[in-house]
Amino acid sequence: MFQFIFDALIRSVDLALIAVALSAVYSLIKFPNVALVQYAVVGAFVAMSLHTAGLPLLLAGLLSAFFVGLLAVVFNILVFERLLKVDSAIALIGSLALSMILSAVFLLTYGPTAYRFKLEVTPAMRVLGARITDHQITTLIVTAISLGLFALILFRTSLGREMRATATNGVLAAATGIDTRRVTNVVVFLSGMLAALGGITLAMRGSVSIDLGTNMLLPVFAAAILGGLGNALGAVVGAIVIAAAETVVTNTNVGPLVGEDLYFLPASYAPVASFAILVIFLLFRPRGLFVSEVSRV
Amino acid sequence: MKTTALAAAFAALFGGLVGVTPAIAEDITIGAVIPLSGASATTGKDQSRGIELAVKQVNANGGVLGKQLKVIVEDSGGKPQTAIDAAKKLVSVDKVPIVIGEYSSGNTIPLGQYLVQEGMPHINPASTSGLVRDIGATSYSVVGLDNVSTEFAAQDVLDHGWKKVAVLAMNNAFGQGVAEEFKKHFTAKGGEVATTVMYTIGQSTYRRELQQVEAAEPDAYVFTAYGTEGALIMQEAFELGMQEGKPWYSILITMMNKDTPAEFKKGLIGMDVGYIGEGGDTYKTEYETAYGETFLSAYGGYAHDAVLFSAAALNKAGSTDKAAVLKAIEDLGKEGVKGATGDITLDADGQRTHQPYLKFKVEGEKLVAYE
Repeated sequence: MFQFIFDALIRSVDLALIAVALSAVYSLIKFPNVALVQYAVVGAFVAMSLHTAGLPLLLAGLLSAFFVGLLAVVFNILVFERLLKVDSAIALIGSLALSMILSAVFLLTYGPTAYRFKLEVTPAMRVLGARITDHQITTLIVTAISLGLFALILFRTSLGREMRATATNGVLAAATGIDTRRVTNVVVFLSGMLAALGGITLAMRGSVSIDLGTNMLLPVFAAAILGGLGNALGAVVGAIVIAAAETVVTNTNVGPLVGEDLYFLPASYAPVASFAILVIFLLFRPRGLFVSEVSRV
Repeated sequence: MKTTALAAAFAALFGGLVGVTPAIAEDITIGAVIPLSGASATTGKDQSRGIELAVKQVNANGGVLGKQLKVIVEDSGGKPQTAIDAAKKLVSVDKVPIVIGEYSSGNTIPLGQYLVQEGMPHINPASTSGLVRDIGATSYSVVGLDNVSTEFAAQDVLDHGWKKVAVLAMNNAFGQGVAEEFKKHFTAKGGEVATTVMYTIGQSTYRRELQQVEAAEPDAYVFTAYGTEGALIMQEAFELGMQEGKPWYSILITMMNKDTPAEFKKGLIGMDVGYIGEGGDTYKTEYETAYGETFLSAYGGYAHDAVLFSAAALNKAGSTDKAAVLKAIEDLGKEGVKGATGDITLDADGQRTHQPYLKFKVEGEKLVAYE
């Protein structure tokens, strides 16, 4: 049982950072940026290159997150600001296109093979019957600190107040003297950092290949929508629900149902859980689990 | 009368052409389509060396139908369309009686299907997917398909005393074939496959799949995986403590061994296709003398044998007539032909019945063959 809880927790951590990033950006510029999942891959690749070049992991990770944050701002200014002047649907398509372009760039630079961090790997320790590895602990800590800092910025600083004001009513916020463009770019920067950290922690516990972003797209979206797109910290709860559903799919022995001792659904069926939850929520609770200021998804 | 005159003129013209051709027809040519460029170019190079040595050997022993044997080698570029185009050229321009090809199943199958449509004899020198069996009537393999390789693996696993195993294979045509065939042979020999888990390739972690196979509490884990994915599976199995006291067995171990660091594959054993079979030592010596290095891959020997087999079939047929050649291949398949990879016999579907495999164990980074 504890193994189940722990697996679900780790999976929700996989999703949480990117889902929060997605939701935060949505709250300001009202379109879900598909390319965010690819920013996570950029983060993982850059951190890995820096780490291979000899930098300590922590420094490599932070530098990479900073770089991806800047990259996100550049893309926002060059691409999305212009597209958003037309329509948010156009910006969504644009972000899909950017996502494909990034994927092609990864293929050209890194090829189709998977890469792993050169980190020391030790056998897992047992805690209440569940196996926990060092890298999972690191991931939990990194995620908790990142989300904590993000929440602190959002709720305890004047920048956070400006962010919330812009999210609630951009025109009014601008009228009160808030530089909404600056605020938006700060959030885009933070979202890039969060996505990169998400990608790095994922790669740290497994590998990174060009497919990582595409594989994350659906569960991350489902988590963000569940939490109420635009409700940044709601996405964390969304991630937990999606992760729990996925873990039920992959960890339940359905053997007795099909007349065998042991039969698990293939792990590739896990996204089915995300899909199902996504459809149900879009039909019945399009605003997500919580009531937020967002009026539609 | 006019038509007769025209016909006579044509006859004279063609007669003249025919009169010229014997100069070219000195040789008997067969065709081969192999990946000389692209991702599998190294294997393709090895295949072309095998072909070259086979041609030398055939011609030293009197050639084919009293003439010299020649093999026209075409590059497939590792792409199915290029492979088919090359085969079309061989069939319609060079008019070869037999086409050998390719390396990977994804190219061999369309290539073979084209040749079967044309009623042409096709010889597969390398692809082991079970789907090769369904290419069609005029397609033959001098390499054992996954039913043969998994039988060897199943016996090997049982010989180690592991009766209850969990199988982990990638969810594509190759992996499915391996998993199904392994289960069939393993169960027939008295073992039990407690669970089979098919994994999607290209994931960033395989923990879920590993926990699923672990729940079966097997005596040993049997798996097949490509390069870096195999490495990640072994690393995560190590992290999860699944290598403690539980043996791991890799089917076609050379696919993943190079990418896996030594610390994650301690005690790993497995099997792969053998480079040469009984009586293949001469080939090995000739190869090393001619090219100054050891085999580039396991597949040169099979390409070599595809040529030997073709030459034997043409000699047996007594002509390059398609029907006669096909009949000769069927007969030869039953009688067997001695090649560098051992005795080649074919089953009712024209697929090789037995072939050499090697047992491997990991020592540090390296693979060591053992008996």
